Amino acid sequence: MKLGEDKKLINDSDHLKDQRLVFYREDIESIDKVLGDFLELSSSRCNLLIDKEGHMVTCCGDTSSIDEQTVAALVAGSYAATREMARLLGEDEFSVLFHQGKKDSIQLTMIGDRTIMATVFDDQTTVGMVRLYAKAASDGLEKIFEEIRHRPASKVSLDKSFGDSAKGALDCFFAE
Amino acid sequence: MVQINFSLKEVNCKIVYYGPGLSGKTTNLEVVHKKAPQPSVGDLTSIATEGDRTLFFDFLPLNLGQVAGMKTKFQIYTVPGQVYYNSTRKLVLQGADGVVFVADSKRGKMEENIESLKNLEENLKEHGLSFNSIPVVLQYNKRDLPDVYSVEELDEALNSFSAPHVEAVARDGEGVFPTLKKLAGMVLQSLNDQHSSVKSGSVSSPHSRTTHTPAAEETTTNSTTAVATATTPPRTRATGTRQAAPTKGRRTTASVAYGSSARPRIVSSPRRQKRRQGIVIGMTVGISVVAAAIGLYLSNMLGFFS
Repeated sequence: MKLGEDKKLINDSDHLKDQRLVFYREDIESIDKVLGDFLELSSSRCNLLIDKEGHMVTCCGDTSSIDEQTVAALVAGSYAATREMARLLGEDEFSVLFHQGKKDSIQLTMIGDRTIMATVFDDQTTVGMVRLYAKAASDGLEKIFEEIRHRPASKVSLDKSFGDSAKGALDCFFAE
Repeated sequence: MVQINFSLKEVNCKIVYYGPGLSGKTTNLEVVHKKAPQPSVGDLTSIATEGDRTLFFDFLPLNLGQVAGMKTKFQIYTVPGQVYYNSTRKLVLQGADGVVFVADSKRGKMEENIESLKNLEENLKEHGLSFNSIPVVLQYNKRDLPDVYSVEELDEALNSFSAPHVEAVARDGEGVFPTLKKLAGMVLQSLNDQHSSVKSGSVSSPHSRTTHTPAAEETTTNSTTAVATATTPPRTRATGTRQAAPTKGRRTTASVAYGSSARPRIVSSPRRQKRRQGIVIGMTVGISVVAAAIGLYLSNMLGFFS
C-alpha cells in the first residue's frame, strides 16, 4: 500500500468513527432510565430522543397523540436551522430551544453533537422545572453517549435475502 | 445516513428530491402521497411560503413494508429550489441516503438545471459525499411540453456521471413511481452490498454482554447508525393519516397537532408522595420535641418558684 493510500485510509476511518454511534440494548435501558426519571421529576408529558438526521432513537411517556416520525423530522429541521443561525451570529450553537404554546410546549435540548432531546409538556408543570431537570438529564445522556462513542465497533449484518426481498417489495409497492 | 434498528426490526432511509425552482419536486411528492397504497404513506408536511413555494422542506414518510423481516421505511424530503435558499438546502441534504435530481426539460431552463446540479455537487461535498458515493437518479420532467430538450441533450449536459434517468410528466403522475422505485432500489441495494450477512439470519456480535436474539441485536456500520431498543416499552404509534386528498397542482399541508383528549392527567408520582410523607413525619417529630422541651422548661420553672 502506498503512503498516500494509507493516510487516506486512516482519515476515512477517523471520519467514519466520528459518524458512528452504536446503541446496545443496555444502552437503551440506561437512556430510557434517564429519560423516565426526567419525565417523572419534571412532570412533562413525553420525551423523544432524535438523531440530527430526523430518525427517532427512543421515546418515553405518552406519545399516543403524536405523529412521532413527522415530529422527529421537524425537530431535526428546526434544530439544524437554529444551529445555522447561531453560527452566523458567532455562537457555537444554541443548546436549548423552547417553543411555547397556549397549553402544550416543547423544549429541545442538544445532547452531545448528534442527538436532540425533545420534551413535550403542558400546564401540569412549568418551563423552569423542565429546564432544571433537563440539565441533569442532558449530563446523564452525554455520559452514556461518551461511553458508546469510545466502545470498539462491531459489524452489522442484514439477512442474506434482504436484496431479493427488497426487489419484490418494491415491485409490489410501486405496481401501478 | 441509514438507520438500522434490529430490535424494532426497522430500516430507515432518507431520500431527498433536489432540483431548480419550479421543476416539479413537490409535485412528485404530492403524486406519491396520492397514489401510494394506504396506510403505507403518512401525512405530507410542507413548510412553504404563502405563495405555495417550498420554504424549508416538504416531508413524506413512506413505509415499504417487510423486507427480509425488517420494516423498511423511507423519509422523503424536497428542498427549496430557489437559489436564495441554499443554506436550507444544505441542511435538508444532511444525512441523505439517495438523491433524485428533478430537471426541467423545457427549452431555456438548461442553465438553471446545470446551476442546481453544480450546487448539489458542492453541497454533497460539504457533507463528504459525491455523485459516485451516493445513489442518484435524474428525472427529466415536463416531457409533455411542446418545446423541450431531447433526452440526449439533457444527458450530455447533466449526466456526466452516468446516473440512471427517467422521463416524467409529474403533473400527470407519469414517471413519478418509476423514479422513486429506481432510487429506492439503488439505496436498498447499496445497503445490502454493505451489510449482507454471510449466513442467513445470523447477526454476529463481538460483545458478549448482548444476547444473540433477533430482538436484541446490536450493530454498527461505516456511516450507519444502529439502534437496539429491545427493552423499550412498547408504545402506541400515531399512524399518519392523510388530512385531505391532494388536488392536482395544489399542495396539501398537514398540520402537526397534539391532541389533548384521552390524555392521562399527570398526578403526583410515588416518589414525590414519599417525599411529602417524609416531610410531614419530620415536621411532626420536630414539633413534638420542641413542645416537650418547652413543657420540661416550664415545669422546671414552676418547681423553682414553688
